[in-house]
Amino acid sequence: MPTASTTTSTTQTAKTASAGASGNGGSRPVRKTRPGRRKPEFTARRGFLISLFMAPAAIFVAVFTYYPMIAGSQMAFRHWNLTDLTDTSWVGLQNFRDVFADPAWGTVLSNTAIWVFGSIVPQLVIGFALALWLRRRFRFRGLYQALIFFPWAISGFLIGILFRWMFNSEFGVVNDLLQKVGLIDEPVAWLADPKTAMFAVVVANIWYGVTFFTIMILAALQSIPEELYEASALDGAGKVRTLFQITIPYIRVTLALTVLLRVIWIFNFPDLIFGMTGGGPNNETHIVTTWMIKITQQGDYGRASALGLIVVATLLVFAVFFLLATREKREVKP
Amino acid sequence: MRRRTAALALGTAATMVLTGCSSMSGSTADGTVTLNMVESLTNPARTDLIKGLIADFQKQNPKIKVNLISPPTEQADQKIQQMLQSGSGVDTLEVRDTTVGPWSNNGWIYDMKKDLTGWKGWEAMTENAVKASQDAEGKTYFVPYGFYGLSVFYRTDLIKEAGFSKPPATWDDLLEQASAIHDPGKRKYGYAFRGGANAQGNATAIIEAYVADEIDAADGFKLKSGKTIFSAPEALDAMQTYLKLFKEASPKSSVSWGYPEMVEGFSNGSTAFLLQDPEVIATVSESKSIKKDQWSTAPLVAGPSGKTVQPLATAGWGVAKGSKHKKEAVKLVEFLSEGEASTDFTKTNSLVPILKSAAEDPFYKTGPWSSYVTMTENPDTYLNVSQPRGVAWWAEWQQKADADIQKMVLGKTTPKELLAGWDTYWTEKRQ
Repeated sequence: MPTASTTTSTTQTAKTASAGASGNGGSRPVRKTRPGRRKPEFTARRGFLISLFMAPAAIFVAVFTYYPMIAGSQMAFRHWNLTDLTDTSWVGLQNFRDVFADPAWGTVLSNTAIWVFGSIVPQLVIGFALALWLRRRFRFRGLYQALIFFPWAISGFLIGILFRWMFNSEFGVVNDLLQKVGLIDEPVAWLADPKTAMFAVVVANIWYGVTFFTIMILAALQSIPEELYEASALDGAGKVRTLFQITIPYIRVTLALTVLLRVIWIFNFPDLIFGMTGGGPNNETHIVTTWMIKITQQGDYGRASALGLIVVATLLVFAVFFLLATREKREVKP
Repeated sequence: MRRRTAALALGTAATMVLTGCSSMSGSTADGTVTLNMVESLTNPARTDLIKGLIADFQKQNPKIKVNLISPPTEQADQKIQQMLQSGSGVDTLEVRDTTVGPWSNNGWIYDMKKDLTGWKGWEAMTENAVKASQDAEGKTYFVPYGFYGLSVFYRTDLIKEAGFSKPPATWDDLLEQASAIHDPGKRKYGYAFRGGANAQGNATAIIEAYVADEIDAADGFKLKSGKTIFSAPEALDAMQTYLKLFKEASPKSSVSWGYPEMVEGFSNGSTAFLLQDPEVIATVSESKSIKKDQWSTAPLVAGPSGKTVQPLATAGWGVAKGSKHKKEAVKLVEFLSEGEASTDFTKTNSLVPILKSAAEDPFYKTGPWSSYVTMTENPDTYLNVSQPRGVAWWAEWQQKADADIQKMVLGKTTPKELLAGWDTYWTEKRQ
């Protein structure tokens, strides 16, 4: 039974160590230059040359990223339909009104919430568990790691198609296994039933995304100094306690940023749903981004751009709030 | 030395940025013209075939070089759209019945009517092909290379076992035979229902079959009276039969079946009937689950009047309005649309041919292909009706209609409500 004092000391140890590790604890080391070699002087000519070297990349990004983004956002306020580009007049907020007035919009929004949070929580928990397990040394660890990271190397659309066949009611492996085990008597039409289709795409997404958490968390775990665990063992902390008072506090920066990145990615990840259900049956598995693709395919770039802006604004607001909310946790106080 | 390296690196980088990835079309000093040709329904085998045809064309026309661009199918039409919008870089291109409307509307493609006046290729073409080459105003934006048409793929052994002597001739026959065979407990299914992507294709095919006597040949969604086909009482009979076909003879999950699942369902031996394009012949022929003598094709099933409508989808070759070498580009279109080039293309791609001579070809006369020839040769029973696939709102309609069909088979709407919605949609769009 550990006392209050051991708790404090264990946490303190973790904090101090992590402070040292993150470089905020000590003073900055002075960079030494090699003897007999002067540090190159920064002159205007050098600056010009550096800019010249950077110019191609800067031009490339400006032309292929920023220009389309800006051009795309003004499309959101125009009547811009590919089927008739003879009239691209300014329509103000009409495209946004059309988006919100669509009868499917409510479903699309609630699906997006289910898709993001229903995927991220299990991904985080399973990814964390896998990372803890892979951290230990055991035979064939390298092989297991490779197998777990493998899904990340495959395109989301392809994963969608694979799962579409696995969940197929008549020829799919999922029903076959469930029937053999005796969990179901007759085949379940996973992707054809609105009640189960969303569940199926979320399951596929969990499987696909666990890997990313595992990779990130495993990398963070490997930076925790072994001495901390030794110290906590000496203090008599158990496994659960070590997890919550050493491991998690030490890697919380990685955790917070990984969760933020994943939320943005999953929100913006239509590939899997597109491959699996195409948003069906009866639009029941559409999320905001698949909905946007659907409207793009209809040629209505105005409305699709309005949706794009809504996505950007939502994620921006989310990112700001998330970073503010986790600032306390991410800052390391020595 | 270092300065020279830096200059060289900069020069290279600048060149890379400036050249981007555009392929140059144009003419050289010796008068050789280079054409850029873009395909849309790309697949590797087809790309090789087109390259072969281009090589033959270049042999015949040493002063013309053709540069083939093959974007991946999923994004091809969007890529072509961007190229057309930029106004250069495309000469000859693949135009589909679903893209011709918007592209001609935006003034991106060229009317070849005058250039093709007196071209001997017209005489060799079937009536369907000549018709498909003209839009409502009589302009020729593309010359079709072939057709995708529906026929019935059926299991000869299963219908015999169920006590039927011949394949279904009408939708009612199909319902009867498919229901008799359907036994989900034994993993045997009657009909490969299309509820997923492009569900509207088969749904409108049954409606058109039921209103065949009153249909407007120039516009497959209109009756001769000017009303939409969805407003006819026969359309309701059609939809009720169609819903029965789903409930009594199709796998539950076919609510979301698209092309791959339908074809898989038939070629893995579990499903007895399938309505599909001729390109499926090749896929089913390679099946390891059903042998050659276990399946065949029959002409498309008819409505109560014994007639039906061939819902032909088509695509072909056209010329970009921005092309600076229209004469040469049209020459390439002519070459691809006649003689051996056309026959090779339709045979290898499993398309309904555009040339009259195909009817005499043993390849089309026997086996699964014969039902397509039967349909082409009997236009009184298998009516030639133009589908309004070129309208600007076609993509929007497809998505709306697909979702509505799913609603109907899931019991969230009735056939009557569905038809009323479709009738309103087309009436409003046409105004």
